[in-house]
Amino acid sequence: MNHQTRVYDNILEMLPSEENPSPLVRIGKMNPAPGFELYAKLEWLNPFGSIKDRAASAMITDLEERGELKHGESRESGRGIVEPTSGNTGISLAAMASAKGFAMRAVVPQKVPLEKRVLLRIAGADVDVINDQMCPSPGMGEGSIGIARSYAKAQKDHYVMPNQYENELNVQAHVRTTGPEIWRQTQGRVTHAFVSLGTAGTAMGLSKFLKAKNPAIKIIAVQPSEGHDVPGLRNKSELHVTKLFDEKQIDEILEIPFELAYTRALELCRTEGLFAGPSSGLIYEGARQVLLRDPKQVGVGVMMFCDNVFKYVSSMVKHIPGLGEE
Amino acid sequence: MSNYAHPEVLVEADWAKANIGKPGIKFVEVDVDTKAYEVGHIPGAVGFNWQTQLQDQVRRDIVSKEEFERLAGAAGISNGDTVILYGDNNNWFAAYAFWLFKLYGHKDVRLLNGGRVKWLAGADLPLTADKTEVKPTAYKASPADETLRAKLMDVIEIARSSAAARPSNLVDVRSPDEFSGKVIAPPGMTETAQRGGHVPGAASVPWAKAVNQDGTFKPLVELKQLYLEEAKLNPGKPTVAYCRIGERSSHTWFVLKYLLGLKDVRNYDGSWTEYGSVIGVPIER
Repeated sequence: MNHQTRVYDNILEMLPSEENPSPLVRIGKMNPAPGFELYAKLEWLNPFGSIKDRAASAMITDLEERGELKHGESRESGRGIVEPTSGNTGISLAAMASAKGFAMRAVVPQKVPLEKRVLLRIAGADVDVINDQMCPSPGMGEGSIGIARSYAKAQKDHYVMPNQYENELNVQAHVRTTGPEIWRQTQGRVTHAFVSLGTAGTAMGLSKFLKAKNPAIKIIAVQPSEGHDVPGLRNKSELHVTKLFDEKQIDEILEIPFELAYTRALELCRTEGLFAGPSSGLIYEGARQVLLRDPKQVGVGVMMFCDNVFKYVSSMVKHIPGLGEE
Repeated sequence: MSNYAHPEVLVEADWAKANIGKPGIKFVEVDVDTKAYEVGHIPGAVGFNWQTQLQDQVRRDIVSKEEFERLAGAAGISNGDTVILYGDNNNWFAAYAFWLFKLYGHKDVRLLNGGRVKWLAGADLPLTADKTEVKPTAYKASPADETLRAKLMDVIEIARSSAAARPSNLVDVRSPDEFSGKVIAPPGMTETAQRGGHVPGAASVPWAKAVNQDGTFKPLVELKQLYLEEAKLNPGKPTVAYCRIGERSSHTWFVLKYLLGLKDVRNYDGSWTEYGSVIGVPIER
């Protein structure tokens, strides 16, 4: 493994770490406060394409070390992984499981875009698509999580569930990697971290690490408006599904009309050359709103750009008129 | 739970666990997600598919008496059995099946409090993917008890009455956006009406407000607060619950009739899909 020459013995050596951080790229024209250094952390340059490589790696390594995963005569006869996922965690887990010779079953909500569902299959996962948005109301949303839990409980010889919604390693992954990377990349000058909320692993992990370094660092979370269509993210009303979320660790939560996730992502692509996906678009809008409160402010902000736009072509077509060919 | 008006219609998970496989006790799983049963169910439970087995496949109606008899018989249920219903999403469709069992006169039918979500959360509560062996029976249903059902004309009469003369309470259990007419149906739903809004005089109490985060029903005092204080239902009058296609409202029907103990509660299974498509009926937004 050599991070200088970027020659590796296997793909897993490319996973991000303080020595091999995902890049920070400064925002230019789209920065409304010129004195404020605003950076995007490009998580899509991780080996399996998203921020979820971090949590997935931590969870699968832990399961392997504890002997929870088993090789069988065939991949299917061993004990593999089942996980509820909106796509990215599943893609990372599936790729790593495949590389290690384990089976993987992903249980995904129907609103996850086709590209991600196909990618999961390409990465070697069996995919169950669940309609868990049927009549949304408080206290619901057990669909994909419930089905994954059912596999792990009824077929425990075949499946173990890492459970990103409850697994503390999902937080620890960011305490061990993302936080130290940002601290080092900004030489300790970081003042703001802008994150989205899905499992809340990133937000909690970054808060834990960065605030221990400097309690004045602000952790700003964005959430899409209720009834949104941004895969992977949660509005506060949906956050009960994750056991990791602790509002006290966040300085501010901004609710943003979800359509802006798509229009800002497009703008980032066309203006900055950053092929940002919709969650990055939403995070950018959150940072923009904070900076517009005082365009003269100074500081160093890092936005977590979770994945790129390639997986959201069908969603972009749906939400941005004129983008498709019809 | 014992202070509910009819605590005998609810069982808790530990009771259910202790009664798995006992003669005369039949577990039936009914889910929104029709795949869930196959992935894992309570040992010995049978699964009903709400899309294909609990409604008539040609007319818009509940399953006929004869079809219900075939369904229960094929599931190995006898008339004297205690039927324990459970399912996903806060027992939503399990409550619909409960309503059907009562409609066709089954004496002892109960809901598993907390449904599937609570069962999954219990480390010592067993779940299996094994196929359930069933010995078919000759189940005999009673003629449908139409007093458990409200019809379109009943609802139109409520809608056209002044508040003082209104013959029944009316509860709309859909989401706030459906109630206000912002949407006609939740996104992606194919069964919709021609118009959005609600029946004049209806109180809005989304169905899932009756349950706790763990899927169990809220205590009596909170249910009273919700339906009698906040929604101002008059316990001296009959009550009709409706939703979009009559399934969410069977959950509220269960809560009002068996937990709160209101007299004469009916489920309007035609619901908004029917009412919101009828020419000339009053609609409020």
